[in-house]
Amino acid sequence: MTIHLSIVLWLPLAAGLLALLVPRAAARWVMLAGALMTLAYAIVIAVDYDTAQRGLQYVTDETWIRTLGIHYKLGVGGLNIVLLLTTAVLFAAAALWAALRDEPAERPGLYAALMGLAQSGVMGAFLAQDLALFVVFFDLMLVPFYFLTLVWGTDPEKRGAAVLKLFIYTLVGSLLMLVGAIATGVLAAEGPGSVTFVLSDLRVNLISSGSQHWIFLVFALAFLIKMPSFPFHGWMPDGYMQMPIAPLAVFTAILSKVAAYGFLQIALPLFPDAAVKYQELLLLTALASILYGSAMAFSTTQARLVLGYSSIAQLGFIVLGIFALDERGADGALLQSANHALVAAPLIFVVALLASRAGGSEDLRDMGGIATKAPVFAAVFLVLTFALLAMPGSANFIGEFMILLGVFQAKTAIAIIASLGVVMAAVYALRLYIRSMHNRVGPLVQARELSAREGLVLVPMLLVVLALALYPQFALKRGERAVAGSLGATKVVQKQQDLVAQAKARAGKDAAP
Amino acid sequence: MNISWYLVVSALMFSLGAVGVLIRRNPLVVLLCLELMLNAGNLALLGFARMWADGDGQIFAIVVMVVAACEVAIGLGLIVALYRQRLPVDVDELRELHG
Amino acid sequence: MSLQTAAWLVLALPLAGSLVIALGGRWWTPRVAGWIGTVAIALAFVFAVIALIKLQDLPEEARVATSSLWDLVNVAGVRIRLGIYVDPLSVFMALVVTGVSALIHLYSVGYMSSDRGYTRFFAYLNFFVFSMLLLVLAGNLALLIVGWAFVGAASYMLISYWYRRTTATSAGIKAFVINVVGDVGLVLGTFFIFREMGVLDYGPLFEGVQGAFDKNDASLVAGMLLILVGAFAKSAQVPLHTWLPDAMEGPTPVSSLIHAATMVTAGVYLIGRLHPLLEWAPTAAAVGAIVGAATLLIAGTIGLAVTDLKRVIAYSTMSQIGYMIMAVSAAAYVGGFFHLMTHAFFKALLFMAAGSLISAMAGEQSLDRMRGFRKAMPFTFGCFVVGGLALSAFPLMSGFFSKDALLLEIGQRGGWYYALYAAGYIGSVLTVIYTWRMIYRAFWGEPCAEAAELEHGHIHHAEHPTNPQTGEIEDTEVGFPGEAHHIAEQTWQMRLAMGALAVLSVIAGVLFLPFGITEWLANFLEPTFADSIVEHPANDGLEAFGLVLTSVVAVVFLAVAYRIWAVGSGRATAWQERFPSLHRLFVNKWYFDELIGLVIVRPVAWVGHWARDSFERIVINGALIGGTTGIVRAGSAAVRALQTGLLRSYAGLVVIGLSAILLYLLLRAA
Repeated sequence: MTIHLSIVLWLPLAAGLLALLVPRAAARWVMLAGALMTLAYAIVIAVDYDTAQRGLQYVTDETWIRTLGIHYKLGVGGLNIVLLLTTAVLFAAAALWAALRDEPAERPGLYAALMGLAQSGVMGAFLAQDLALFVVFFDLMLVPFYFLTLVWGTDPEKRGAAVLKLFIYTLVGSLLMLVGAIATGVLAAEGPGSVTFVLSDLRVNLISSGSQHWIFLVFALAFLIKMPSFPFHGWMPDGYMQMPIAPLAVFTAILSKVAAYGFLQIALPLFPDAAVKYQELLLLTALASILYGSAMAFSTTQARLVLGYSSIAQLGFIVLGIFALDERGADGALLQSANHALVAAPLIFVVALLASRAGGSEDLRDMGGIATKAPVFAAVFLVLTFALLAMPGSANFIGEFMILLGVFQAKTAIAIIASLGVVMAAVYALRLYIRSMHNRVGPLVQARELSAREGLVLVPMLLVVLALALYPQFALKRGERAVAGSLGATKVVQKQQDLVAQAKARAGKDAAP
Repeated sequence: MNISWYLVVSALMFSLGAVGVLIRRNPLVVLLCLELMLNAGNLALLGFARMWADGDGQIFAIVVMVVAACEVAIGLGLIVALYRQRLPVDVDELRELHG
Repeated sequence: MSLQTAAWLVLALPLAGSLVIALGGRWWTPRVAGWIGTVAIALAFVFAVIALIKLQDLPEEARVATSSLWDLVNVAGVRIRLGIYVDPLSVFMALVVTGVSALIHLYSVGYMSSDRGYTRFFAYLNFFVFSMLLLVLAGNLALLIVGWAFVGAASYMLISYWYRRTTATSAGIKAFVINVVGDVGLVLGTFFIFREMGVLDYGPLFEGVQGAFDKNDASLVAGMLLILVGAFAKSAQVPLHTWLPDAMEGPTPVSSLIHAATMVTAGVYLIGRLHPLLEWAPTAAAVGAIVGAATLLIAGTIGLAVTDLKRVIAYSTMSQIGYMIMAVSAAAYVGGFFHLMTHAFFKALLFMAAGSLISAMAGEQSLDRMRGFRKAMPFTFGCFVVGGLALSAFPLMSGFFSKDALLLEIGQRGGWYYALYAAGYIGSVLTVIYTWRMIYRAFWGEPCAEAAELEHGHIHHAEHPTNPQTGEIEDTEVGFPGEAHHIAEQTWQMRLAMGALAVLSVIAGVLFLPFGITEWLANFLEPTFADSIVEHPANDGLEAFGLVLTSVVAVVFLAVAYRIWAVGSGRATAWQERFPSLHRLFVNKWYFDELIGLVIVRPVAWVGHWARDSFERIVINGALIGGTTGIVRAGSAAVRALQTGLLRSYAGLVVIGLSAILLYLLLRAA
């Protein structure tokens, strides 16, 4: 069977455009059908994917803009296969949520089209094997979220300001990244005629160490803003509070992972000198994200923001794993990207369900005590909570274990401090659970069990989380070789530096007597 | 005859037109001056066409005349619309698009 | 059936029981759920016995079996198998866990029968047993951590079982978080060892440790100290013990199973399991032994002062586990595990009997209110006496032989271990006093109103069920015994469970009698500890001295306690007035909660508030967001200024621009 990545890439957008044309009542179902077909195709790809083979598979490579050397090149490899599958799962869940709850009431066609565009954008960013194409998709995927928030956001008064903040922040990142990408292509070229943005070529023709430094910082800034990471998370609280639920679920779950993926796919292999040089800077940023995100998560009372800040902390762990510059850490980071996505999205849905039982309020002070009437809901939420706090036995634990092990090998002290984040995660995750499910019944609470429709969204996601917990090797095995490839260049740089340091030490020793 | 003379006349016409666009405030006159500039261009094109003795320049001139005709049609329509809306016929007063 | 199959079944049955009960949910009638749980654990016990028999069939030097299902992780040199490690120690633990659990399940069938969350309770309880068995049978450090965290989670769920009580939920989160601190310690400790050895499986770990590290290597010591932090957190050792007394918020069978007999002994198991590593890092081992000794003394003194019945037993548990941690850290393995087993019996029994008393008091737990239950509840009284005698190491009871074996093995090492030996005996004095203080206060004297009512055949019912900690009126919609409650000695399931444990508390000592009369336990555990590098020279004099001293302490201080609390009233108060500061220290539990609050909780909360109120507002919103938007605003203002809307100025700019370009081209041409 021949597999065309362009199908999986553009199918969601096609379904979204179709949803614009069909009658209002059918629009959400067209969106769902599109997402489910994409999921089915993604599963076909994952099943057909040959784990024994090295390098990219199902490559599509067309020249797009010849004069600029930009290719429409897509491919599936160890780095993106699991994330591609995760994306398809999450968008299917979001579409299911919207369809089953008849959200949104107004202009469902436009909503479906924007969600389709978002999915195509995210998949494009994962699949792109050309730097310029990656930049295009990286920006494209954000555009629908501006409109989704602007049109269907929570509070008509505040959503405009929130979108503006989100827009400015991400725009700054995107523009810087565009400059960086162009500079990379031009500097890597040998002459004006040989400019190329294809990643496999850029990985071979590395640019000079001096240029790497500023370009790396530009890319890192764009990725850190997108995640978000401390201290670039200023857009997050307002953005999260205003975004509608289904878009928020995919936004927090998977868009942040594009940034993490970007580090492995682009920043490390293309700018290895800079990655080694700024390793500690990035590690410290990640550490600050972990501690700051956790501290904020247990002092806020808004259920959504607990998740928002917790994802700052969790993404801190992912960056930590990547910049351990050690296979174990990066393997763990890649696994953790999928894990956190699969846990964060259903938890956003859980928060929405909690709010619907607490008179629409997402304030923890208004919640409480619904476990009695809703034991199934409580059980589902409890399992997700344990997964979020990376309880041993969950795949999230394996991810964190590998990350910390990688960091421990590289920088022991940082690993020990970062492990405080694990303890803090236990506090804020359980606090969220207890304050909403246990204790006395909250003032606004009307407890009721999960309905069949609500269960239909949450339970399949729960099963995916449990399945991955039993067999995390599924993701690790697929990523292992590609991760090693991504780290290869930085390893070479580190080795060279070690040799230089040794030589210097030896010279110093010889000079001393 | 030397090409220079054509070009000198063309340049003079163009400059007259440009100065007119810059200093007059009546949109009708501005439009007239624009026509002058276009025709200055035409003159230059025709002069070059004659110099090289081929038809390319003439084809360009005809295209420019077509464009000028369209432009006049739209421009005059706009000016009539301004009169009907009882707006001042003065380009300095019409600055709603300022930032 | 092979040994491996039996071991896997031991693990699988409680999990299956938990899933069946949980998925059936409200479909099960309460009794059915209870019996499913009990039968699952009883069958697990049967398979544990089969595993024991199969293990004994193997030659002594090869009494170890491993088996694994699939790889959880196998990348970049890290391999984590989903596998088990079956040897005498793990089978011994599996037997104790499943045996005691089966009896406690049986007890719970009666005790919880009027509770509304009955099925939930048994689903949790079975899950706990599964987790504990996973911890015990795990074949590598990573899987051990999984079991370790699962028991923490099960413990959290069961402590917060009556989740409408805020005291219960906050006790639950406290227990969970302290246990996570322990988990992190374990994980980091594992990293230290993995960094040098590159394996996580027990077999290669134990064989390779002496080659990979120098004796007392700093890295190994650091790793083992971190692993000990895990053990201290789970086994409630100072200073990570503060969760255990609060954990008494859970239903009494939970206290009995988790916070007395099984989970809290996980730290002892861990040290025993990793003894080849710990012995190679003697500094860490010494720290473990000293912490154990400190805990047994501190917990004993607090036990003298607290007045909540369940918390007295909880501090006693802490103190007894202090003995075990001290013992296994000092390489007194057989004694340590012997005491672990007998303690599981008599402490579970004491908790069950306490549950009976609390039912009779309609939920009231304060010793100040209890009085004279001797005639009203003879069966419970009997159980308390048997359990109390065993706990205070009264001659010929099981606790007598186990504590004696434990202290003897420590004493045999000589040198500074005599200090630990002495601490053990001081602890014995405290043990006898607090045990009998509790029993005399509850059972002697004039019967209180509840006891009197019971003597006439009525069970006392409180007007409103109240939270024993805060006096708050309970929210009875969920999970509380409610109006109808049972008294332990009145249902046959509870009598059977308590009776069985009482018999075991008396006779379990025969497994390992002094002077080599019986050595079954030592022989059984021998293969596991055969690689121990610590010598225990036989010392008959010390053995005889120990036996006499233990007996004397038990008898003398039993009498002293009788003088103070049973005969005359007011003697205790006189002692309190004589040493007011000491009494205050004990009543306030040596101020550990306050200390942890001051050193950890408050600074962290302060940082959180500072981050939210100041940092987020000033730096993130002010400087970063303000700065970025400021730059964007200034830029756009500059661009906007050019958009005058004046047609002629635009035209002028075009002309100037064109002229400039033309000029440039001209100049370049020239």
